[in-house]
This record gives sequence, structure tokens and C-alpha cells, in this order.
Amino acid sequence: MSTRVLGQNVPKKDAATKVRGSRRFPQDFDMKGQLHAKVIWSEHPHAHVVKIDTSRAEALPGVVKVITAEDVSVNEYGIIIQDQHVLAGEGDRVRWLGDRIAIVVAESEKVAREARRLVEVEYDPLPVVSDPREAMKPEAPLVHEERGDSNVFRHIKIQKGDWEKGFAEADVVVESYYVTPYVEHVYMQPDAGIGYIDDEGRVTVISSAQWPDHDQRQIAPMLDLPQDQTREIVPAIGGAFGGREDMHVQHLLALCAYCVRRPVKMVFDRNEVMIRTGKRHPWYVKYRTGARKDGTLTAVEMEIISDSGAYASTTVPVLEAGTSFAAGPYVVPNAKVDSYAVYTNNAVTMAMRGFGTTQSAFIYEMQMSKLADALDMDPVELRMKNLFQDGSIGLTGHEMPQGVGIGETLKEVALAAGWKEERGRWSKPDLGAASGPHKRRGMAVACGLKNVGYSFGSDDKATVGVQLALDESGEIARVTVLSGACDVGMGAQTFLAQMAAEALGVSYDQVRVAMVDTAKVPDSGSCSASRLVWISGNALVRACQEALERRDQILLAETGETFVETEHEFHGRSVHETHPYDPETGMTVPHFAYGYAAQVALVEVDAETGETEILKFWAAQDVGKSVNPAMIDGQSAGGVHMGVGYALTEEYIQQEGVPKTRHLADYYVPTVMDMPLEFTSITVEVPDPSGPYGAKGIGEMTTLPTAPAVISAIHDAAGVWIDQFPATAERVWWAMQAKK
Amino acid sequence: MPTLEMILNGKEVSVEVEPGDLLAHVLREKLGLIGTKISCGEGECGSCTVLVDGFTVTSCIYPAMKAHGREVTTIEGLAKGSQLHPIQQAFVDVTAPQCGYCIPGMVMSAKALLDENPHPTQEEIRMGISGNICRCTGYYQIVEAIELAAQRMAEEGGAP
Amino acid sequence: MWDDYLFPHSVKEALDMLEARGADVRIIAGGTDLALQRQGGRNPATVMVDITRISGLERIEERDGYIHVGARVTHAQVAASPLIRSRAGVLAEACGSVGGPQIRNVGTLVGNVVNALPAADGAIGLTALDAQAEVAERTGRRWTPISDLYAGVGRCTVDSCQAMITQLRFKALGDGEGDAFERLAKRKALILPILNAAVVVGVDGGAVKSARIAIGPVATKPFVATDAAEWLIGQAPDAAAAANAAKLAAQTAEPRYSLLRGSAEYRKSMVEVLVRRALTRALALASGEGGGHADS
Repeated sequence: MSTRVLGQNVPKKDAATKVRGSRRFPQDFDMKGQLHAKVIWSEHPHAHVVKIDTSRAEALPGVVKVITAEDVSVNEYGIIIQDQHVLAGEGDRVRWLGDRIAIVVAESEKVAREARRLVEVEYDPLPVVSDPREAMKPEAPLVHEERGDSNVFRHIKIQKGDWEKGFAEADVVVESYYVTPYVEHVYMQPDAGIGYIDDEGRVTVISSAQWPDHDQRQIAPMLDLPQDQTREIVPAIGGAFGGREDMHVQHLLALCAYCVRRPVKMVFDRNEVMIRTGKRHPWYVKYRTGARKDGTLTAVEMEIISDSGAYASTTVPVLEAGTSFAAGPYVVPNAKVDSYAVYTNNAVTMAMRGFGTTQSAFIYEMQMSKLADALDMDPVELRMKNLFQDGSIGLTGHEMPQGVGIGETLKEVALAAGWKEERGRWSKPDLGAASGPHKRRGMAVACGLKNVGYSFGSDDKATVGVQLALDESGEIARVTVLSGACDVGMGAQTFLAQMAAEALGVSYDQVRVAMVDTAKVPDSGSCSASRLVWISGNALVRACQEALERRDQILLAETGETFVETEHEFHGRSVHETHPYDPETGMTVPHFAYGYAAQVALVEVDAETGETEILKFWAAQDVGKSVNPAMIDGQSAGGVHMGVGYALTEEYIQQEGVPKTRHLADYYVPTVMDMPLEFTSITVEVPDPSGPYGAKGIGEMTTLPTAPAVISAIHDAAGVWIDQFPATAERVWWAMQAKK
Repeated sequence: MPTLEMILNGKEVSVEVEPGDLLAHVLREKLGLIGTKISCGEGECGSCTVLVDGFTVTSCIYPAMKAHGREVTTIEGLAKGSQLHPIQQAFVDVTAPQCGYCIPGMVMSAKALLDENPHPTQEEIRMGISGNICRCTGYYQIVEAIELAAQRMAEEGGAP
Repeated sequence: MWDDYLFPHSVKEALDMLEARGADVRIIAGGTDLALQRQGGRNPATVMVDITRISGLERIEERDGYIHVGARVTHAQVAASPLIRSRAGVLAEACGSVGGPQIRNVGTLVGNVVNALPAADGAIGLTALDAQAEVAERTGRRWTPISDLYAGVGRCTVDSCQAMITQLRFKALGDGEGDAFERLAKRKALILPILNAAVVVGVDGGAVKSARIAIGPVATKPFVATDAAEWLIGQAPDAAAAANAAKLAAQTAEPRYSLLRGSAEYRKSMVEVLVRRALTRALALASGEGGGHADS
């Protein structure tokens, strides 16, 4: 398809204001007469709240109100399951350090800070459950006594084919135990916002959210208000990565504004983001893979235990998504999988770039790397042999829809990294000499795939509006796109404008994308699940087509109208239906659409210290249709960066529910010096017939293969498998000692 | 309350501060310069980077009084009206900003680097922004933008 | 919060300010650590005496056979100083690895010592150079070996509420001397080290004449591996000597388990690796290999 605006590196809509520093994030707003709020956080990972004394705080001059549980109309919330108190009151339990006791509202931030120290809370500590494997045992203390007699709150079963027979047919069986780390999103902009009552009396919050409409759905019942009496405005978001799917300040600010009827500002400091907000789930995984001598997979068997932390958050869909990809983009005829979501008193775990598929990419790709090693087979060749194609049958018995691009993606990345292919036989390139006597070089490949859009029977939908301003001759002068699709930084405003320009035949500069404001733009669903290009794009393109039709009618009727407005609600299920897991077999049609990535890492391991340096990195992604190549390269590099941190340095450490990684200084996000000097991004376009212009989502896929590629490359270099990561120098060193 | 006097973005400024105020807070809250971002509040991420007498400092831990009598440059001091500074323009042109929260600090580190070293190697650029953490970009387009800016500024021949 | 922020114009004026205002007054230089200590509620002082405008304290110069570094000199200035790069490269390397550029532009080398952390890169370099600090009190000034400045982790014997360090000095390296700094950390910038090691050696007539090995953080202060250094004296300056001395250094160093830095066993083994690598480089330099220290 020939396109004019799609595929161009147009300047991002928000780039100029961002480089000027004039772009306002929530903490950059102030309102006349505003107050300042600070949260009193739980001091225990598990305890009964015995007594809360706010009198000293309330007596402090400048304190307007200390809000407690008594002030909350309906004191429960949660993004899916309402298992959290907004504020824990006397007699309630706190279950992690992110639980809230009270909010101090004061005339200045300084007074609020001081008053926070004057709120006295008496606790009766309870036993702390900090290991999900222990938490599964019948004798374990319950984190939620009111929610049944077990800390396990979801068990997913997959039984496909005859897994015992599959293993019996295997010539080689690879068996492993993996532990994936707790990690923090570290969006650079700490959570912040202002709550106020707007001119129409609505409880309004300015904040950085990933799904403002869903925040409203949680805030309205909390305040016992109809949803249209609430409002959320999202001016700019300083990164999210899944971390802002759950509310952090939104509900608290709504509550403050509702209680004091004045604007209230709240800004988290970094320690609050580190200690009091959710993380990526750690997984504890037993994994067996069977294959024939020729590399054909015969069976997989696994048990996945997911540490959910204190509350459910999005744990269930995260585990469902991750489990559905636990065998990777490979055809496996026989499988047995048991996945468990378990409550503990650790930090709440939630969505984070990949939504469970990051953990599964690590485990299935490590298994494939080990299998290639055990079979003495080239790792690209082994993967090629088992890879999904259009119509392949996946782990839950579903047929892969048209547009499977993983083969093309893997091929492109392998060739770029120097692999040679001859009649289906792949051979790895020579890696060159190491840079020193103690340095060992290694290279490895990994793949990844993920769903686009919500899954398992969700009615995923997005509504997008288009307004056309016409000139006297009926030509389109200006276009406004109205969508609740939040731009977390990846460029949603830009690609929506590009798609609108393409669909309407106007220039990119003629298109404006309205700021997200629930009072003014329709609900486009969350900025998550790599879904915006696909679902908002589908809605937008249809809205544009309808707008053009309406314009033509106007011209034909010669009404002289100069304004056209349309809105289209696009449903994922119009592509095909998805369903929940079958409770016994797990068989289902899980997802609407997919996106793919494959990456290669060249590393050097210091055999004396265990340090790993990534020398070169190649990242290929199948985007279906490249809307903005530079933005895709940015998603690719950013995903790899997050994957490098996941693989080598990042780890949120807790002991008995108490975080030890309390400062950004202790949590090692890779700096520019830690990134490979040479990075190559390769974009593959295998069109998805269900996507707008054939486009697929890509935001999450780019981070999936990184950790298994890097850690498999460490094995290629140093001969050790690091099954519990990050692969710190010390972990690699111990593994090398054990091998000696 | 002491008075902090400084040359801020080329203009003499005088502002009443608390002795313990940190520069980032004075800039943001007392002078309305919200382009200086606070992320870690501990001098560990570089989002709050500004220039004091041409050197980068993390203004979130920099006592405001230290700037007394000094020249302070913030992100707001770079563009001339509607004309972006060449570094800012290069960031736009290579699509370097994603969420954009680290970008003002990155641009200020790049400015200090190019003022001191107009023809940096890639390694020198990496060193120059090694005190700035970005969570979105993987840094490659940021390095590319700084290379492009250096090249354009050299071609223009003028002082940055 | 702070009540006052003062800029003295001489050392005497600074000391007078400390005297006049009592126990809640203290010296501040770069302030990069102090700001964090204040946030953490660990520094109760309320009046700051900022010494970064006292003239004379900004110098890096060679006098009386010593390199002098004033109390205002930042890590960035040390790392970029041609004099220090050519005559005490170990210190330039060490200072160049502190924090990130912004911290190096503000934080001072003297502050790195006064803050008394055993992991401080600058202080480890200075310890290997056997540096001295000039302490100015109201009673006068005196030179003290920097190893005597440590009263425990984060505790300096010079109380910044009563006295100040005005400058540091150490002997410049000459012909037949070599130095090196090695560091292990969890990432490549903006981070405290898991371990660091600085060495300075002298070689004459095919034998090691002098050696000084400093290691951090393996004790409550920068650790000087005396046994290893003594053993080296008289040895041929080769790889085997470096390896054996490193082994001895590792035996005497006692790193503790640290949840964030790593196990004692690992770090003890890494002491050996770092010291061997540093000694190998320094001995080569001292023996005139690799172009000598002037080009290091």
C-alpha cells in the first residue's frame, strides 16, 4: 500500500514543548488557593491497625484536615478485584508498606510534611508471608482472611495432548528451575496531581494515568457518586510502563478534593514511588522441555508461581497472559501447565511492560537455548524448526491468525548479526577475539511474542472521535482527533495524527490531537497491551472514513456546513471472539492479535569478576506496518534498555516484606555507559489483516527477548546458565566457581 | 530571609529564599521555571540538571544560596523566542524525546558538553550524559541528537 | 531546615563563624552529601559556612615536592588536572569515577575525605598516595596523615562544626614510580563501588622499592594492605609478584556481607583480582613499560 504520511518520521506532536521544558506534567500545575497533601503510609508489611490518633496533626497551624477511613464513603477499590482499602482504619489490616492510613491536607507542603509526622498509629503486627511458595502451604498465615482459606487466588490449568507420551517420545529433556526478579518501573516522573471541584461540580483530578476512564470507574463508587460527577485530565505522562494502570494518587486526590472542596496538590517523592507503588511479578518456575534429536519439540511441563504481593491488582490477567505464551512462539503438541497467583505481604505486583509475557519469554527462551546446547544444534536453526506460522496451533489449542511474522523477524535479526543460512542449516558467525586475556565472548539469540489488545473474552473496545473543519469549498482545513488514548511517551498523539492524516488525505500538520480529558474525549481504553496502534487506530481510521462520507453528503446536499464530527466505537471481537481459559484443559482462543520481536546479543564476560558487558546488540521487531520508523527505533532501543536492566542489574530487594532498595541510588537502571556501543534496530513489516493499514502493536514486544538473549550469551561466553537473574557479576562468578 | 541574586538565563534576578532552599525548588516554585524537573530528589538521575557558571549541577540537591552571584542557565534559557537552540532542534529532528521528563536535563548536559567540547566523540557524548538517566529511549537517539547538533553547530560556525 | 547560609572570605573568618555560632554551625563545601544527609535527618546543623568562595582554596599546584589540592577543588577538576593526570594518575582515575559529571562538578575531594566513607573513590586514591590533610583550627594549622582522619564509618576526626581541612598534599610520582586504580561496581556510572583499589609502587634496579595498596570498602576506613606492600619490597616487578601480593592483600582485607553490594566471599576474592590488576599496571608503569606514568 502506498502511503503519504504513514512511514514518515514526522516530528512528534509534543517534541518541541518537551525539549523546551514547557510541557507541563501534573507536578507542574498549580491552582489558586491550592492545598497540599501527604500520605501517612503503613509502617508494617502485615499488621492490625489498633489506633489512629490524628489530634496532634490536626492541632498544627496550617493543617486543614486529616482524612481517615471514616471520611471514605465506600472504603474499597482495586483495578479488577476490590480487595484494597482506600485508607486502612482502626480495626483494619495493613498488608504491605504501600497501604495508607491517612492523608494530611495542609496550607503548605512544609506543614503537610510536618503534620504527617504527628499522626500517631498503633499497630499489632501479624506474621509476615514473604515467599509465595511458603504462602501456598495450608499452614501459611492468610493475607486475606476474608477471601477464602488459601493465599492462592487463581490456578490456571493447561492440559494439551498427552504430555506424558510427549516426554516419552523425547530424545532430550531439559529441566530447569527459574526465579525472575521483582523490578520497579522507574517512570522518571513521580506520581503527582491536583484534585479539585470543577465549574460543573465534578470531582476532577489532573494526573498521569494510563486509563483515566477506568480510574473514574473506581473513583465514582468510592465517593458514592455517579461516574459523570467525576473527571480526569491527563496533560502529560512522564513514562508509565504499566506502572500507572493502577491508581496511585488519583483516588486520593479525588477524596481530598471531595472532602475539603478546595484544590489539593499531591506530589510523591521518589522514595514513595520506590517503596509504595507496585512492581513486576517475580515468577518461580519449574520447567521441563522434551525434544527429538532433530530438534522437534514434543512436550513441555511447567509450574509457575507468581508472587502477587499484598493485593490482586492485575495479577490474574498478567498471569493469564504470561501463561498463554509460556511455550513461546513454538509449536508444542503436548503440554501441562499449572500457574498460581499467590498473595504475600511483599510489594503489590502489577502490570509492567510485557504483562507477564516478559517472564514467560525468559523461561521459554532459556529452555530453547539449553535445548540447542543439549542437541548441539544451532540456536537459530532449532527455533526456526519449531516456529509458529500462520495457522499454527498454539499452547491453548488456538489457531494463530494470519500475519505471523516471527519467522521473518528471526531471520532478519540473525542475518544482520552475521548468521549464515544454507538450505535451512544455520551457522553462527565468528565472534572475533576477546578484548583481554580474562574476557570470554558469547553470542545468543532470543525471540518474543505478545498479544495485542485485551484477551480471554474481554470486550476490548476503543472509541475515537474526529472533527473536521471545512473551508468554503468543502476542503478539510483542520482536523481534531478526540481519543482517551494516553500518550505515555511512545507517541500515541503522533501516530494517531499520522493515521488520521493518511485516512483523510490531509497533511500531518493539519491534524491536532486533543488533550485527554474524560469530560471531552471518548473512552479509548487503557494505554496498555500494546493496543493503541491497533485498536485506537482501527477506531480512528473508521471514524475518518465515516467523516469523509458525511463530508461528501454535505457537499452533495450543498448545506454550507463547515463542521463534521464523527465517532467510532471499534470492538476487538469484530475481528474474532476470544474466550476465557477452559477451567480444566485451558483450551481457548486467547487473543485478538499478536506482535513479534527477535534479538541477538554479543557479550563479553570477565572470567575473573563475572562482569558482563554487552558489546553489540541487534533488535528486530515485526510491526506489520511502520507508521513512524524513528518512533519504532525508539521503542526498540527503549525496550532493549529495560531488558538490559532486567537481565543484568535491576532488582528490588525485600526482606520479610520490608524493602531494602529504598533509593534510586540502590536500584540500578542502566546508564548510557551500560548500553552496548553498537545497537541496530531492524523493522520487519508482515501485515496483520486485522490492524489499521496492517499495523501491529510493538511497545512491549521489544523488551521480551532481551534478558534471555543476554543471559544465553553469557552461557555461550562463560559456560554457565544463570537461571535466577539479574545476572550480576557475583551471580555469574558463583556459577563459574560451581562449575570449576 | 536571605536574598539570592543571580544572572538567570541572561537576566539579573533577585529572589527571597530560605537559607536551606535547594536550587531546583527555587527555580520551580519561586520563579515558575518548571522546565527543571525533579525525579529522584537525590542527585542520582540528572533530571534537574542546570548550569551554574557553565557547569552542570543537579539542582535538586544544590543549595540555592550557592548560586548567589553566579550565572545560572536552565532549559528555558536556551531557545531564542520561537527559535529552538540547535541542541533542542536536533532532539526534535531525530525523535529523541519519548516521555520527555528527563529531556530538559539531558539537553542541559549536552549544552555543557558542547560548550566545552564542540566536536565530541561518541564516547565523550556518552560520558557527558552519564549522569542522566532515561527510562524510555535506551539513549541512542539522544546520543544521535547530540552528534547532529554538534555537526550543525560546527557548520553554522557560530557560537552555540 | 537551615537558619543561615554564610560565605566567609578567609579561613580565619570561617573558623570565627564556627566559633561564634556554636554547635549547630558547620562547614559546607560542595554539599552533595550534606544535602542527602539533611534529607535523611542525619545532619542537625542549621547554619552553613560555605567555604567555596575563600580564595586560595581553589588551587592545584606543586610546591616543596608535594602536589597540593585546595579544599574547593572538585572531583572534576582533579580528574582533568594535567598535573595530577601526569604525576598522580591514580587520583585522577579515582576522582573520574565518582558519581556522574554533575556530582563531580560540585563535590570536592576534601569533602570525599571528610565524609569518611570507606568506599569513597577519591579517599582511596589519596590513601594510596599516602596523602596528608592540613587541618585548620582556631589554635592553628597542622598536617595530619589522612588515615588518621577516620573515626568510624562516616565519622571524621575533624569535626566540621569546629575545624576545617584547608588542603591536601601528597608526593608527586617521579621516575621509577607507577600507580593504578581499579573499581568494581554494579553499573558503569552513578554508583558507589562494590570494591575499589588504588596502588602506588616504586621500582629501582629491577626490584620493588616501595609499595602502598589502598582498598575500599573492606573496613571501617580506607584499608591499607600493609603486609602485601611489605612483602612486595625487594621482589622483581613482575606478574607473579603482583599476583602473590594481591593474594596477601585479600587475606588481610575483611569485607562484610552487604545485601546490596554482595557476599563477603565474593568481595574477598575480588580484592585479589582488583589488587593484582592494579599492581600489574602500576609495576609496568614503574618499570618504564607502556610509556611510563607521564602518559598514563
